[in-house]
Amino acid sequence: MEKSTVVIGVIGADVHAVGNRIIEFALDHAGFNVVNLGVMVSQKEFVDAAIETNAKAIFVSSLYGQGELDCRGFGDYCKEAGLNNVLLYVGGNLVIGKSDFEPVKEKYITMGFDRVYPPGSDINQGIEDLKHDLEIMD
Amino acid sequence: MPTYLLFDVGSTYTKGCIVDTQKDEILAIANDLTTASIDIAIGIENVKRKMAPVLSKISIDQTLVCSSAKGGLKMIAVGLVPDLTLKAATLACYSAGAKVIGSYSFELNQSELKEIENAQCDILLLSGGTDGGNYEVVIHNAKMIASLAPKFPVIYAGNKSCQDEIVSLFRKANVDCVCCENVMPTYGILQVDQCRELIRELFLRTIVKAKGLSELSSIIDDIVLPTPMSVMEALKLLSKGTSTEIGIGDLMAIDIGGATTDVYSMNAHFVLKDNIGYKGLREPLDKRSVEGDLGVRFSAHNVADLKKDEPEYDHGMRDYLQQIQDNIHCDIDPDKDSVLAAWCTNIATQRHAGRLETSYSPMGVGYYQSGKDLRDVSVMVGIGGPLLHSKDPLSILEMTLSDPNHPEILLPDKLEYYLDSNYVVSCLGLLASRHPDTVVRLLKRNMEKII
Repeated sequence: MEKSTVVIGVIGADVHAVGNRIIEFALDHAGFNVVNLGVMVSQKEFVDAAIETNAKAIFVSSLYGQGELDCRGFGDYCKEAGLNNVLLYVGGNLVIGKSDFEPVKEKYITMGFDRVYPPGSDINQGIEDLKHDLEIMD
Repeated sequence: MPTYLLFDVGSTYTKGCIVDTQKDEILAIANDLTTASIDIAIGIENVKRKMAPVLSKISIDQTLVCSSAKGGLKMIAVGLVPDLTLKAATLACYSAGAKVIGSYSFELNQSELKEIENAQCDILLLSGGTDGGNYEVVIHNAKMIASLAPKFPVIYAGNKSCQDEIVSLFRKANVDCVCCENVMPTYGILQVDQCRELIRELFLRTIVKAKGLSELSSIIDDIVLPTPMSVMEALKLLSKGTSTEIGIGDLMAIDIGGATTDVYSMNAHFVLKDNIGYKGLREPLDKRSVEGDLGVRFSAHNVADLKKDEPEYDHGMRDYLQQIQDNIHCDIDPDKDSVLAAWCTNIATQRHAGRLETSYSPMGVGYYQSGKDLRDVSVMVGIGGPLLHSKDPLSILEMTLSDPNHPEILLPDKLEYYLDSNYVVSCLGLLASRHPDTVVRLLKRNMEKII
């Protein structure tokens, strides 16, 4: 079976590179075709890359607390660009300071994300969810 | 080692030179006003007559020609995302010496199709999707193009996964379709070499005939290249040299014409300084860009419009622009032409160069580059009439330098300037694959340093 493509990157002006590399490694290891856009990625770059590569999912990381600003309108933008069936996952330190995760999750779901992960999540959980959502059997 | 008679036909002047590859010598150089609108052969005969004293004493082994006649090689590029496969396709066309007369992204619609039908292009380059990536859009576009039953050949350089389907649907519609590697096989990676070679082959196989150049076959042995591709081959050798003849290193070049301005940059390595990220498509080491709206005649108005705030845009300039508009062949005002050429140089090189963007975040300042960093380039070569006829070519070429008000544009602070004052670059490019050492030596000898 052809590998499913996942576009990953760290959104906004965020330059945290390490976690992003771990995500790339783990997805690659799990049998996905990974397009890693690196750090400081704009919404447009995510969308452009997903269109050209026929991606099944976009993994957005944000570690510096400004994700809420950077991700605003992301789901709508994807829809406008015709990416109706692309899964959107987001994870990291998604807001500044410590706060309850539930309202944060709600906020990102409203922005159009399918799954939202709190700080310290295990990437393997994300991969398991992705396989479930894409109906990929091991 | 043979002696060659080389011609460059189709631009304002028909240029010719005789090269003895044994002695590494240019035996004669001559040029004459073009006769492209009547019969190219007459122009060639005129130039040969000027070289008669030399021609009568030697025997020519081969005659080769590069051509930009009948508007040069006109191409249409079709891609998916504007900044990705469409950009890759456009860069492929430019690197093959073509002029891109139309570029289209995403799904083609009927009005765009109409434009393509009316555009009279020589070749259409269809791309879209990385290998294994999107195929719906490129298949849609292939169907639309096939529905035109076009006379021009189509090159398919998109997603390999749907290549068979696309070839078969073009075959069914009796469209001449050839395939090559995807111009962007994976995200951000440009791969144009095969496509470029294919464009050259098609140029020889079909275009030369269509443009009435095949009648020249009695006088010449081979129409080898579109002129800009020949220029590019020559500049590449001048920059990189060969294993036995050292080149002059990274360089930029500009060719200002009446309607368009071409900018070239040749680099040995892709420059990306420490702690700077890269965004988008990696541009080629040997890059050519064509500005279809910049030139000193047909495009003079556009250029002036972009420079309205400059002090040189005065009454005199406005009068001159009016004269050009009334009669494209009006008398040349060398000073005004120099100003127009300087503006062309300034805008075209700024568009050609990469950008460095600064991003401020809670974590400090971050930088990322898009396009080519040309700050370390040390040589600029001027080609073409407006530069060679100018009284002060230095003032034109200096417009390449980085602008202190725009430090984000990655152009050099200091350059050495050379002129192709004998009009040999385009002709010598014809020998690039046959006699590279000779070409490097002759180019180095014939570039006039200006200070």
